Amino acid sequence: MRPSVLLVDDEPNIVLSLEFLMKQAGYDVRVARDGDAALQAVAERAPDLILLDVMTPGRDGYEVCQTIRANPAWKDIKIVMLTAKSREVEREKGLALGADDYVTKPFSTRELVNRVRQLLADEHP
Amino acid sequence: MSIPDRTRQTGSERAAQLAPRYQFAVLAAIAAVFGFAVFAAMFALRAGPETADILAHWAAGLAALVTAGLIWLGADHLVFRPLGRLAARARLAAAAASEARIDAAAYPTLAPLPDALDQLVSRYLTARREVQQSVASATRRVEEQKERLEAILRDLSEGVMVCNLDHQVLLYNHVALALLHVSGELGLGRSLFNLISRAPVLHALERLLQRPAAGPEESTLPVVCATTDSRTLLRGRMSLVLDTAGTPTGYVLTFADVTREIAELSRRDTLLRRATEGLRAPIANLRAAAETISFFPDISPEQRRAFEDVILREGNVLSERLEALDRDYRSLSASHWPMTDIHSVDLFSWVVRNLRETGGPQVTMVGLPLWLHGDSHSLSHVLECILRKLAVATRADTFDIEALLGDRRVYIQITWAGDPISSATLDDWSDEPLPAVLGSPSLRDVLTRHGSEMWSHAQQPGRAALRIPLPAPIRVQFAPTLRPEMPSRPEFYDFDLFQSGAAARSAVSTPLRSAAYVAFDTETTGLRPSQGDELVAIGAVRIVNGRILTGETFNRLVNPGRPIPPDSVRFHGITDAMVADAPPAELVLPQFKAFVADAVLVAHNAAFDLTFLQRKQEASGIRFDSVTLDTLLISAFLFPEFDDHSLDTIAGRLGIAVSGRHTALGDAMATAAIFVRMLDLLEARGIVTIGHLLEASKMALAIRMKQAAF
Repeated sequence: MRPSVLLVDDEPNIVLSLEFLMKQAGYDVRVARDGDAALQAVAERAPDLILLDVMTPGRDGYEVCQTIRANPAWKDIKIVMLTAKSREVEREKGLALGADDYVTKPFSTRELVNRVRQLLADEHP
Repeated sequence: MSIPDRTRQTGSERAAQLAPRYQFAVLAAIAAVFGFAVFAAMFALRAGPETADILAHWAAGLAALVTAGLIWLGADHLVFRPLGRLAARARLAAAAASEARIDAAAYPTLAPLPDALDQLVSRYLTARREVQQSVASATRRVEEQKERLEAILRDLSEGVMVCNLDHQVLLYNHVALALLHVSGELGLGRSLFNLISRAPVLHALERLLQRPAAGPEESTLPVVCATTDSRTLLRGRMSLVLDTAGTPTGYVLTFADVTREIAELSRRDTLLRRATEGLRAPIANLRAAAETISFFPDISPEQRRAFEDVILREGNVLSERLEALDRDYRSLSASHWPMTDIHSVDLFSWVVRNLRETGGPQVTMVGLPLWLHGDSHSLSHVLECILRKLAVATRADTFDIEALLGDRRVYIQITWAGDPISSATLDDWSDEPLPAVLGSPSLRDVLTRHGSEMWSHAQQPGRAALRIPLPAPIRVQFAPTLRPEMPSRPEFYDFDLFQSGAAARSAVSTPLRSAAYVAFDTETTGLRPSQGDELVAIGAVRIVNGRILTGETFNRLVNPGRPIPPDSVRFHGITDAMVADAPPAELVLPQFKAFVADAVLVAHNAAFDLTFLQRKQEASGIRFDSVTLDTLLISAFLFPEFDDHSLDTIAGRLGIAVSGRHTALGDAMATAAIFVRMLDLLEARGIVTIGHLLEASKMALAIRMKQAAF
């Protein structure tokens, strides 16, 4: 079974690219436009990895991350945070709240795909 | 051996005062001999052989002798001795040493002289008290003004220097020393131009001096100068010091370090230029390529490929430039906000106290205090606001607050028993305005200014934490600072010091008034150093120019290396447990020697204390060969009429209130107070140099040793 990726972002232009890239990389991709939709999607079926934008409408990415980490059933979900905030302190906050990686926009698409692949490979050797 | 003239005079005066007593004794003796002779003559004239008569005459003669002796004894007891004591009392009162009135009842045989003398003393004391009170209140006013000035100087965040027109430094504060990279003390009277570039200072001074007397708004001028080592750029203001006639006598320079600000400003400029100019080219290339592809769909695949290459390449260039700009921007500190190094204890204690006084949650400061960098005022309101909200949200009643050391930041961490706060809740709190802070910024605004973002996470089971990362301090976190070496109330300046330049003269000819002294006392395990008793404490205080410098004290416990007998513990209160971790005498004595330096030592019954110090000479390698004065001997010299020269009695005699007796420092303080009061009495007796006083002490010692021999 193909590993599944949940893409949480409200910026259609980046979603367009990311959805395409992840499908190209062979993952099963779902998209959520805001924090509540993301949690709903996770509740329906837990993905293997979430690409989570920090600045989502409603519940922000930090809170979605915190909520997911608060549930032991979801402890194996990998979380990669995407953000336009580039300060070191935000990266630290993201990791402190349970994210596995933190990527600042703009990013190299190739590098992002590599990181996702690596994280999922750790889980699905 | 040369005895000071005045001392010799005083001796002969005393002999003259005692003379009537001897004269009377001689008279009594003559009367006795004469009476005896009369009876002997009568016996010779009578020449009768009766034995009874002979015996009667001999008896009468003897009676005359005894009577004369009794009369002399009576007169001595009833008149001459009381007269001596009365004279001593009167001298004490005259020498301003005692407030004691003359008790007429103590001299019944001399009435009405004591009464009359007492009236005189009482009048004199009243007059003296009035003078003393007006002097004391004037002194107090001066002292208050001086303290106020010291406090202002100490707390100013700017450097302050006062110079005369020859540019010699007369007064300065610690900030000035730090800004000018001077370690330790700056010698008063040194030229300002050893420290600061000359030209800008002279230029500003010239302009101020040439100016006609102008309004107050014109009385200062800005100065920008550099330290002579070119490490620091200073910006400040200069104003003139005028005497009462309005003539300039010097100038005041206040300044702050602007090296960082200037450097940051220029970096900010560079960054802004790079942001506008550096992005223009890649954007132009990108836009041209995208427009060409979009407007001309029919171009050949090779051409299209070339344009796509441009888009890819320039996209990458833009990303890289943006990253570089962002990195540089973040490395600029938010220097346009007023930020300083803050000690976490200062920050926390304000918050803790404020919450306690307003019924907020109970907050305990824990952990090691750290320095951090920020705006103390807005941060303290952020912490207060967060703690109040935490108390409501978590229903915990106690919180711990702690500063944590990170690699590049310092973290403020608040912990409580319960669950972490959700990120969304913290987000809501962040919008809360802080009305007490200028401009009512939101919590988020203040945190952003500090490059910060808070979050909450679970700590060990059952506990949660909230963390606020803050900028690390500019200073080195754990470097020893200059301040603790300074006395708590430092004597930064002392214009009298100008007069004591030639301190190299030998101690003997040093005037008593201006010599530097260290009054000290020791506590011991017992009274017999030769039988193994040891030091347990040393206390000392410095005396300069007749002032006891309470900020310059030495107070150390000493491990005696043996148990302290219960009797001694009762006496000085120092127990075995108290000295268990104290260093031994071999380590404390070198410190004490360094404190004493080349001051004259003063102690009460100095020989006792010196014995303990000198017995450790071998072990500590420290010789105590300073000139030493003994207040006991000085008292014996000043008050030969009294037998009791204990510390308490002398203090009572001189009207000095003593507290903290039987602690080394307390007794050292008492000794210092007595010694300073004695300086007046010694001067009145013509003892004005250390040499005079040593001679007088020697005489007193000789007399006491003779008395002890009887």
